[in-house]
Amino acid sequence: MNNSLHIAGREYAENARTKGFWVNLLMFPVILFLSIKVPQILEEKAKPARHFVMVDQTGQFDVVVDRALERHYQMAVMKKLLEYQKKYAKPGLNDQGPDQAELLEKMPAQNMGINPSDPASGMLEMLAEQNPELLDTLAQPGGLDMFINMLASTLVEDPPMFEAPRQMLIRDEIPAGALDGIDVEHADPKEIVRALKPYLLDEKPLADTDEPLFALVIIPQGAENQIKGPGRLPKNPLECADEGVQFWSTNLTDTDLSRLVENAINKEVQRREYVRHHLDPDEIEKVQRTTMQFASFDPKKAEGEEIVSMADTIRKWAPIGFVYLLWVAIFTVVNMLLNNTVEEKSNRIIEVLLSSATPWEIMCGKLIGIAGVGLTMMVGWILSLLAVLKFMAGPEVEWAGTLFDVIQSSGLLPLFALYFLFGYLTYAGLFLAIGSLCNTVKEAQNFMGTATVILMVPLFTMVFIAQDPHGSLATFLTWVPLYTPFVMMNRAAADPPMFDLIGTGILMVLTSILMLWLSSRIFRLGVLRTGQPPKFLELVRSITTSFKEQ
Amino acid sequence: MISAADYAVELHGISKRYGDFTAVKALDLAVPKGSIYGFLGPNGAGKTTTIRMILDIVKPTSGSLTVLGAPSAMDVRERIGYLPEEKGLYKKMKAWAVIAYFARLKGVDAKTAKSTARELLERYGLSDFADKKVETLSKGMGQKVQVLASIAHKPEFVILDEPFSGLDPSNQQVMEDVIQDLNRTGTTIVFSTHVMSHAERICDRILLIAKAEKIFDGTIDQAKALIPKVVQVSGINDAAQLAAIPGVKSISAEGGMPGSFSVQMAEHADPQQLLRDCFQHGIELTSFQYHEPNLHDVFLHLVGDDAKVASFR
Repeated sequence: MNNSLHIAGREYAENARTKGFWVNLLMFPVILFLSIKVPQILEEKAKPARHFVMVDQTGQFDVVVDRALERHYQMAVMKKLLEYQKKYAKPGLNDQGPDQAELLEKMPAQNMGINPSDPASGMLEMLAEQNPELLDTLAQPGGLDMFINMLASTLVEDPPMFEAPRQMLIRDEIPAGALDGIDVEHADPKEIVRALKPYLLDEKPLADTDEPLFALVIIPQGAENQIKGPGRLPKNPLECADEGVQFWSTNLTDTDLSRLVENAINKEVQRREYVRHHLDPDEIEKVQRTTMQFASFDPKKAEGEEIVSMADTIRKWAPIGFVYLLWVAIFTVVNMLLNNTVEEKSNRIIEVLLSSATPWEIMCGKLIGIAGVGLTMMVGWILSLLAVLKFMAGPEVEWAGTLFDVIQSSGLLPLFALYFLFGYLTYAGLFLAIGSLCNTVKEAQNFMGTATVILMVPLFTMVFIAQDPHGSLATFLTWVPLYTPFVMMNRAAADPPMFDLIGTGILMVLTSILMLWLSSRIFRLGVLRTGQPPKFLELVRSITTSFKEQ
Repeated sequence: MISAADYAVELHGISKRYGDFTAVKALDLAVPKGSIYGFLGPNGAGKTTTIRMILDIVKPTSGSLTVLGAPSAMDVRERIGYLPEEKGLYKKMKAWAVIAYFARLKGVDAKTAKSTARELLERYGLSDFADKKVETLSKGMGQKVQVLASIAHKPEFVILDEPFSGLDPSNQQVMEDVIQDLNRTGTTIVFSTHVMSHAERICDRILLIAKAEKIFDGTIDQAKALIPKVVQVSGINDAAQLAAIPGVKSISAEGGMPGSFSVQMAEHADPQQLLRDCFQHGIELTSFQYHEPNLHDVFLHLVGDDAKVASFR
């Protein structure tokens, strides 16, 4: 056993001392940090403001678009105000209210999703929909100052000045002289497009800003009558492509502006339809905001607490994250094992080892050492995750922290550790056997190709199993020993039957013992072999003969 | 009478078969403690397989063996050192750390392992490279480090598989010195080689195998005695005079030169005695040349042309 520890120690040091290991360990928080910060910075600083011009020959819709632009900007201001308040809030103030995690426990799950990566804007959208007057107040002169004054009492002393965000969508005047000689009111839209094309293609900049023209919106004459809807004759979309609003832009991927214009005009069209039907649009809008309370209940929960909370929803989906983590962790680590074994074999170091320790001791040593590397990696990741969460502010971070709390309380972590252990032992056995049969890393990769396809199954099925945790696929895969740890992790939150829990527990113990036993045989035979990997039958025969020898 | 306790290794009719292929056939051998024993034979003769069986890395198909009195080398592995045929070390480890690591696997405590590693590196002129990674060492240096790694735990029995291969002449000399140094402290050494000159210089006993079978086993002198001693003499008028001297087996005329003869001596006869007898009988010689046969001659004599073919395979 002492020898196993020496081997484990060396194996650990060898892997933990490589540059790759540390790069891997350090890259995780860096990537995490960047993935949170970079989009924020890009959104705030790098993304260019979009300048566009609009020709409204109907003269009916430009007001609507302008209003929507204003709303859009006020939303951005509001969002930034909230962030500002969070960032400079008096210490302790935010903690007084109910704990975020506690809140999630109580908050009923909703089908209308809040984008987990950007909950703040999701909530804002809801707020703006429920309470549009709030945004209008902000838009009024002095409105912003009023808000800041209101917030002042909740902030630390002398917070930095609030900086209003940039305006991202800007409607410009048509460049002077661009449409000279064209009767803008009545001209064919094609003519207008032709005249403005140099601006759209960035051949001419907009005069006063020096910015390129991002888009041209044309609302041709009679567009107000070219509307689609129930009760109207459907038209072939190919024939009426030039009817209605035209949005011209070389950028097809940034749809913020086109969506905004489309929504604003459609809302106005709908409003007119109400009027045409002698309905009061304001009343309609109020009616549309009316909903009935809707909540999901889980009959398994204790009486009085059956309501399905946000936290429950997170817990139901968390296993998917765990399955993925389990998969990545096991295969990263097991690959190291494979590479080390192949190296020792191709260097013939293995012979010296075999003269100093039994194959079983060598195997145990390698298993322990590499498991240590894996644990170090995971602990490193978790610590850096916590560090990033601690030192970064912002709504996303708060969300992640809450998520962490909820998961911690879900009891999935001990199961994760258990399934990691057995998954690791099983796959380590498999990969050690593969490694001991191969002379070069290249040869090992040929084996790996086939193995990887088989190993991908838990990833392919993880969403499906989470949705149907007691279905026939889930039950079947549960009892396939190679998949048991992943599938059981996958089903963990759905309270799998006691029979499955205990049965698979026994199965996993037996599987890992069998795998390790088999691979210690193959290891012993394989490591001293040179040349071609053995044929399958030869392998079976040698395993059985080595069994007889004992 | 030598008792069993005086042998480091005893093999009793051990064989190893891989399917239809026989790597070693019914080999008997006894390596006395404190001796330097050479395993000689062409490539593919079964030397490495024999060594692996002694070390219990490979199990014999039949036969039995004892190593340092134990039925398996695993039981006494702390007392054995091993240098495998194909040399390799952990590339990313420092030279001293590799030596210390293998010593620790043999049960040496951490502190002693470290100091012994440094000491050995210094003794064999490698102290400058102690803190260098193995991958930066030249092949010969790496091999020296590996040899040191196999003896750092001060084993009483050392097995070296082809220790001279890949070394330049001066390093081969160093290797011979290492073996003799070890032997002086009472260590039993078995090494394999297909280069006869090393064996001839440093071995007490040799084992000759070819095509999986033992051909010869004994001391160098015994080996040399296997081929007839031939003395070249010239200046003789009457060959019959020579033939009358005891110990002379046959005489043949040496090609070309009149009065020159090749004298084949009888087994165990001493060429020096022939010279003295010539003086006594008043036979005047103008030249007397005796070449002690070397192991290479013995090898060719015993193994024949087959071995020459085999050794170039």
